[in-house]
Amino acid sequence: MEETVIRVLDLYKSFNSHRVLDGINLEIERGKITVIIGKSGGGKSVLMKHLIGLMKPDRGEIWIDGVEITRLKERELNKVRRKFGMLFQEAALFDSMNVMENVEFPLREHTSMPLKEIRRTADDRLREVGLLGFGDKMPSELSGGMKKRVGLARALALDPEMILFDEPTSALDPIISLTIQDLIKETQMLLKKTYVVISHDIAGMFRIADKVAMLYEGKIIAFGTPEEVKKNPDEAVQEFLRATGMPGFVGGGV
Amino acid sequence: MTTELKVGIVVLISIALLFYMSVRIGKFGGLMQQGYELKVNFENVGGLDNKSPVQVAGVEVGQVKDIKLRKYHARVTLIITPGVKIPKDSKAAIKSFGILGDKYLEIIPGQSAQHLKDRDTIENVTAYADYDELFDTVSQAAKSFGRTMDDLNSLLGEKEKQDIRSAFQNIQQAAGEFKGLIADNRDNVAVITTNLAVASEQFQPLVQKAEATFSGVNEIVQGVKEGKGTLGLLVKDDKLYKDASQTVASLQSISSDINQGKGSLGMLMKDDSLYLDAKETVKNLRDMTDGINRGEGTLGKLVKDPTLAVEAEKTMKKVQKAAEGVQEQTPITILGTIFGILF
Amino acid sequence: MNSVVAPLRKFATEFGAIWLLFLDTVYWTFRSRLKLGYLFKQMEFVGVRSLGVVIITGGFTGMVLALQTYYGFRKFSSEGMVGATVALSMTRELGPVLTGLMVTGRAGSAMAAQLGSMRVTEQIDALTVMALSPIKYLIVPRVLASLFMLPVLTIISDFVGIVGGYLVGVKMLSINEGVFMARMIKYVTLDDIYNGLVKAAVFGVLLSLISCYKGFNTKGGAEGVGQSTTQAVVYSSIAILISDYILTSLMW
Repeated sequence: MEETVIRVLDLYKSFNSHRVLDGINLEIERGKITVIIGKSGGGKSVLMKHLIGLMKPDRGEIWIDGVEITRLKERELNKVRRKFGMLFQEAALFDSMNVMENVEFPLREHTSMPLKEIRRTADDRLREVGLLGFGDKMPSELSGGMKKRVGLARALALDPEMILFDEPTSALDPIISLTIQDLIKETQMLLKKTYVVISHDIAGMFRIADKVAMLYEGKIIAFGTPEEVKKNPDEAVQEFLRATGMPGFVGGGV
Repeated sequence: MTTELKVGIVVLISIALLFYMSVRIGKFGGLMQQGYELKVNFENVGGLDNKSPVQVAGVEVGQVKDIKLRKYHARVTLIITPGVKIPKDSKAAIKSFGILGDKYLEIIPGQSAQHLKDRDTIENVTAYADYDELFDTVSQAAKSFGRTMDDLNSLLGEKEKQDIRSAFQNIQQAAGEFKGLIADNRDNVAVITTNLAVASEQFQPLVQKAEATFSGVNEIVQGVKEGKGTLGLLVKDDKLYKDASQTVASLQSISSDINQGKGSLGMLMKDDSLYLDAKETVKNLRDMTDGINRGEGTLGKLVKDPTLAVEAEKTMKKVQKAAEGVQEQTPITILGTIFGILF
Repeated sequence: MNSVVAPLRKFATEFGAIWLLFLDTVYWTFRSRLKLGYLFKQMEFVGVRSLGVVIITGGFTGMVLALQTYYGFRKFSSEGMVGATVALSMTRELGPVLTGLMVTGRAGSAMAAQLGSMRVTEQIDALTVMALSPIKYLIVPRVLASLFMLPVLTIISDFVGIVGGYLVGVKMLSINEGVFMARMIKYVTLDDIYNGLVKAAVFGVLLSLISCYKGFNTKGGAEGVGQSTTQAVVYSSIAILISDYILTSLMW
């Protein structure tokens, strides 16, 4: 059951002699929600960009479904990328296209589906994120939360094996934030995909996470289920948890 | 309007414009290349190019197709428009459009009835007037001129230069003063001019009168020539003339009487009236000649009064113009005419 | 690194990066089927929407050229040369260069701003993550559209400029129309026009490539987008003027 789909080995990355990733080791299981938690600017986004090949590490290996990607050429890398969908921090919708075109875009470019089928699939995805009928809106007309829903619909469009979430609840008010968390959880339960979420929102993410990895000063200092991480005696972990201001908080679980 | 339509319209418009401009310029590469070939050998083709025009009597009849070096001569191949016939003894010359203009090849047609055929050679060639050579000559001339100036310069001592300088200054000064004079008297000059104009207007009838008088004077002159009396001409006084001739006759008789011894000086003195008459006559005659000699009367006035003199001159010109038919008359007679008018 | 080496190093790096981007663009142009929809959109953006500004600059340039050269040629009593001078200046030089500079200002800056904001809002990363080449989707259409449309705009600019020169020269300054046209036709060759169009095509590639590069490599949010836009216009304009000299000396 516990099958590792992403394995990160000894990953190092520096920017101008500032070490951001300092020997990351991480295993992500198939069909689970894994949350990488850490401070803002602590290297979470850098780690995620390595997973999808947007950045090359100084040293170390990343295995995805048995393929080491850090030394791949762009063309092979694109094959690996086809297994991913990604929801960006600010949704990264193409602002020259309306909502429907955004969701249809990956389908148009990567499949030879007839237009009708593309339209139906896109409608399905929009329905899953609760935005059916918003197809004609332009991204600039949408609120932050709605953009993220469209982003999720687009990430799901090609039915990828894995979906990466970059700070899915940042810059959202608490209520919208909750609905996005719920949406992530619901879709994951429905689709049984591998979700990798990076966030600094400990309280929110502990609700939905199956596994939590805590990133601190370029290293993973804690890894396990939310309960395991909470009981971790490491001083840095405890300090991190206290910083949420919600001691004794009991995370989500199923 | 779709994106594609908009782009299409703009691109089509631009293609149409490009086509239009290309046609207007009319230099579609190969179009001018039709025609027959002639060859010309030149010593020097400096400045002539491929596609330089070939003209006959200033009309373009073809272009240079090719220029090649052959035995240190330039062999120029021309393309002549079909239908343009070049006589066999025609001459070829390289000319340019103005001193800085492009070179072209001029064919000066000859008289021959036979015409040149394709690939024939034009044998008569006028040597190319090389502008470089020309400029060389000009620059040499300029140099020798410069040398002459230098020589002149060295010939002139400091004193001479000073003299020339002061001479120029004097001229300048004089010119300045003259200018000032004119400026000061501008009004006077204007008035004089106006007067002259008015006077000449007034002279107009006089001129006509003068013409009439002229013939009279002429008659008198004629009379004088014929010995009808000398002084009488000027005064037109027949009486005086008669008096004079009578006097002369009396004197003659008196002198003959004396010669004959018929009387004495006392006798002569006895006749008071005769003596007085004679004396008076002589005095009159002298006055008259003296007067003319001194220039009294109108002639004197004419000389003394500049305004009148100028008017007279102007009148003279008018008289001259008016009396086209009597051009042979001397100025003196004209002056005489004026005399007549003014008396 | 001292103060001399650092800027040189930066210049060489950027020059190299732009060159590589050019090669990538060529590669993606031929490697995959062209996205005609995107291409037409960019052709409309670069070409059709720049029409107004190109016509105005071309027309007034031709008019002022006629005025200025008339003033000069009158001193040599050769006013008839005004037409030829206006036509040669427009076709050989000012048509392509002014069109290049105007399109840089209008479309190049917009390209840098669009791509810059796509970069900072991670839209470019989104494309990459979708296993789609941002160069193919974003840069190839822009560069090709500029390559095609710059000559098109230049033809229009040439024509409008010559018409402007004609209006001022013949209608306003009363230069003899026959001489005006005859000299123009005599001295302007097709090569003058075509060389100008080749120049325009090169300017199109340069300005779009540099503007895309600047937008593509934007860093630092909205402020970075502004900076990229400015740099795109400055660098493109300089590149156009320098390459204009090189091209002119090559094509003489």
